[in-house]
Amino acid sequence: MRRRLIGLIALALLAAACTAGGGSSKPVQTVAPNASHAPLTLTVWSNFTSGEYKVTTNALNMITKKYPWMTVKHVGGKEDTAIERSISGGNPPDVAISFTPDNAAKYCQTGAWQDLNPYLQADKIDKNAVWPAGVFSYTSFENKQCALPMLTDAQGLYYNVDLLKKHGFSAPPKTVSQLADMAKKMTEYNPDGSIKVAGFVPLFGFYSSTTPNTFGHAFGAKWYDQSLKPTLASDPNWAKMLQWQKSLVDAIGYGKLQKFAASLGGSDSEFSAQNGFETGKIAMMMDGEWRTAFIARDKSKVNYATAPFPVDDAQADLYGTQLVGGTIAGIPKGVKHPAESWLLLKFMTTDTSYLTTLAHGLKNVPSTFETLKDPVLQNDPHFKTFMDVFQNPKSTFKPITPIGIADVDLFGTFATKWQAGKVSDLTAGLKALDSQIAKQQTLG
Amino acid sequence: MTAVTAPGTAAAAARRPVPPSIRRRQILMSVANHSVAIALSIAFLLPFVFILATSLMTNQQTLSPNIWPHPFAWSNFKTVFHSFPFVRYTLNTVTYAGLATVGVVLSCTPVAYALSRLQWRGRQVAFMLVLSTLMLPPQVTIVPLYVIFVRLHWIGSLKPLIVPLFFGDAFTIFLLRQFFMTIPQELSDAARVDGASELQILLRVIVPLAKPALAAVALFQFLYSWNDFFNPLLYAGSNPDSWTLAVALQQFTALSRGVLWNLQMAASLLFVLPVIIIFFFAQKVFVEGITLTGVKG
Amino acid sequence: MATVAERPAAAPEQVRAAERRRRRRRSAWHRQWVALAFMAPWIIGFSAFYVYPMASSLYFSFTKYDILSEPRWVGLSNYRFMFTSDPQFWVSVKNTLWIIVFLVPLQVVFAIATATVLTRVRRGLTLYRTIFFLPAMVPLVAAALGFIYLLNPGGPVNRILRLLHLPQPLWFVDPRWTKPGLALIGLWGIGQVMIIFLAALLDVPRHLYEAAEIEGANPWQRFRHVTLPMISPVIFFSVIIGMIQGFQYFTQAYVISRAGDQTHPVGFPQDSLLFYSSHLFQQGFEGFHMGYAAALSWVMFIVTMTCTVVLIRSSRRWVHYQGGFK
Repeated sequence: MRRRLIGLIALALLAAACTAGGGSSKPVQTVAPNASHAPLTLTVWSNFTSGEYKVTTNALNMITKKYPWMTVKHVGGKEDTAIERSISGGNPPDVAISFTPDNAAKYCQTGAWQDLNPYLQADKIDKNAVWPAGVFSYTSFENKQCALPMLTDAQGLYYNVDLLKKHGFSAPPKTVSQLADMAKKMTEYNPDGSIKVAGFVPLFGFYSSTTPNTFGHAFGAKWYDQSLKPTLASDPNWAKMLQWQKSLVDAIGYGKLQKFAASLGGSDSEFSAQNGFETGKIAMMMDGEWRTAFIARDKSKVNYATAPFPVDDAQADLYGTQLVGGTIAGIPKGVKHPAESWLLLKFMTTDTSYLTTLAHGLKNVPSTFETLKDPVLQNDPHFKTFMDVFQNPKSTFKPITPIGIADVDLFGTFATKWQAGKVSDLTAGLKALDSQIAKQQTLG
Repeated sequence: MTAVTAPGTAAAAARRPVPPSIRRRQILMSVANHSVAIALSIAFLLPFVFILATSLMTNQQTLSPNIWPHPFAWSNFKTVFHSFPFVRYTLNTVTYAGLATVGVVLSCTPVAYALSRLQWRGRQVAFMLVLSTLMLPPQVTIVPLYVIFVRLHWIGSLKPLIVPLFFGDAFTIFLLRQFFMTIPQELSDAARVDGASELQILLRVIVPLAKPALAAVALFQFLYSWNDFFNPLLYAGSNPDSWTLAVALQQFTALSRGVLWNLQMAASLLFVLPVIIIFFFAQKVFVEGITLTGVKG
Repeated sequence: MATVAERPAAAPEQVRAAERRRRRRRSAWHRQWVALAFMAPWIIGFSAFYVYPMASSLYFSFTKYDILSEPRWVGLSNYRFMFTSDPQFWVSVKNTLWIIVFLVPLQVVFAIATATVLTRVRRGLTLYRTIFFLPAMVPLVAAALGFIYLLNPGGPVNRILRLLHLPQPLWFVDPRWTKPGLALIGLWGIGQVMIIFLAALLDVPRHLYEAAEIEGANPWQRFRHVTLPMISPVIFFSVIIGMIQGFQYFTQAYVISRAGDQTHPVGFPQDSLLFYSSHLFQQGFEGFHMGYAAALSWVMFIVTMTCTVVLIRSSRRWVHYQGGFK
């Protein structure tokens, strides 16, 4: 056994020695756009499902008009872990799409997604002329550009105009205190005391937009400092946000909110036609700009409007900003046809007609300067809110680190304990969370 | 806890006149026993009933308070076949379970024979090692095995699931060994005197006698592979073309945001059905096989 | 065979004895080879799929390895992280202990109880036995999905509870009720263990009961002093198997955590369903911390082996074998 162990170690050291030295940009192959080419089918994996899946598939098929030899096979329902497993298993898709830019730093550092800088240079593309500066914060890490944005997202407030009017409100809330006040006043109850219509559901873990991350943005709270050390305890805005959230949860009733959420169908219902806001059971909700497309697709009758999400009363200058950043795409390590993958990826992230069609279908915020000019989106009153939020320079994504979404997951678990009242000392809890995240960075 | 009455004494008891008070107590006990048994039966059967009922509902109905489907949406089963490649997943599952069973029976029979009916140096040690693998958590080996299979490019196929089973399986070896040991030595000795080689003894004497045990292990392995979730998830999970029914069923929830409970239950039933059918036809083999493991263990 | 004639010096019996010894050695050698040939499939399998991977995983446990690049030696860093910096490790240990210390004994008790019910009905035994056994046939994935539906906050079970004016927990949505939900699934599928106990209960010699009755023992005393010792080997067997399987508990927890959303962490909600194997799986095959996963697996191995040995040792005190062998 010991001999085998030593043998293994020796082998590993040898292998490590042999593979060291890669890193300088190797010359990359690209495909001349007009050259003839043998027919090829490239697979694209994404986590799109149902309606969004169909829209994206139709848009992807547009590439065959440009390059008749290329067909795209789009596989939906593939979350990041599925993509990672395929990369490590040695049979990755030709292009991968992810909804979790938090993982981009991990992909860049491990090389799971290839560095695209050589390809961009070979095709003489000036990054800063095509994409707004904000997108690079969640697509690159330590000088490696391993992903590019395929449209992007912004968060905002959706409100039910009829329900607001019913309770005597003519304008959406601008501060978090107004939000809490209106939420309590607009909540309607059944005879047995359970919630019939919720003014606002502040529960973490309910729908994908009610997270410590998005609420934290409304309070200007920062995840990390310059050296990527976690600042959840040292930045007082986090505690402020958590206190605000819990006081609202307690005012309405944690148990009642849980039951109400379950009666809607829980998290399952978020992307179905039973979505609480779309069925008029929730008066105000934080959600991304894609909800406008879902409302139209589900033929929901809700009379709604959008506005920037309320912010901390003490930081009114934050109004108009929120979490931004969204879908990213890249070329996994080990693809069989890297040059063709790049051609497809370039199309998916820069081609204006593709991105415009996709933006209209998904109602996602455009990610290139060209597509941001699109009149249809600019003139859609529901949608314009999100375009403005995206273009506000104070709107950011959270800083990405090689631990991927581990920080979001850890905070999420902590936050659900907090709102249930299981955390007695918030400061100590946040300090512990900071040290957990810092330690996670060492495991790597 | 009254004792179990053997048939002989029950008949004897019936012949003796039973005083009415004792007779009354006996009837009450019998009623009580049966009530408990019936209550338990309802508890065990109720989930099946609900799942069956749900599989026949329309999607709207699953969210409503109605407990009984109105009308019976038999088309749900057809929809399952159409909405995802059910036939392919079934084929994958049958391939995996079938080949696994073949491999296990083929490889474990000679091993069990050597461990039970041959005298050789190291037999005890080998048997201890076989038993030790029974208690070994598979987690200790999956990381390196996964790496090996990545290098072999077998990830995403069913090969990592099937190939190892052609090299023995501790549980099967154990069961077969226990059974082989109950076959009288005289039969082997007689054959040896007749000049038969060990292989011939195995094939012509032992195997025909061991048919019930072989049937039991084949059945166990088939069902174990049919129901297996962890291994197909790990090794074939990245390639939907290689999914078995267990993995596909679990992934089904991801394919349609907003779970369609009626279709989910219908698909689950189709997954469970072959097992139930096999069970009903092979009940005796089952029960005997399980007793083989537990009591004689 | 001309040796005998060519060796006039040695006595014939000695020569024949030597010949016999040689033949016995040759045939012993031959027997050894035949046995090894029969054992060959297992020997190859054992080396390739057990010995080598175990050594390899021990090595990996001292490295940082994500498959995409070569393993990097980090010494005891993984183990240090596990015991000092990974709160999920302790959560997973606590959850797994719940299974081994609570659920497994509960299942054994329930199995004995249902088997006892079966020993007391005379008519319809086969029917009842089939019904009690049937749920054990259902694949774990299907059972988990079925119970997710049944224990849905608005599902059949809660509707019945509402009719009975009993509180309706949110089951798999409420972290406090997820494990009780798992317990229900575990009890529903008790069939296999129950059958073994049924056979064991029927095997208890009747004269022991009669003797006890004569001495005036009431039903509970008869159970405690006759039945339990007689079925103790089966209890021992079930507990060991239950414990080993408990350490590896995975499928139901995985399916239920991910039912609403495949992007949920594997212990959702709130890590209440994070068992040791789930944590290992997530770290190794979703986070790609393969070195850390290997370290977790070795700790699990050592603990499982220790518990098994302890249990076997303790069994000498309370397990009673008929006939007195083993």
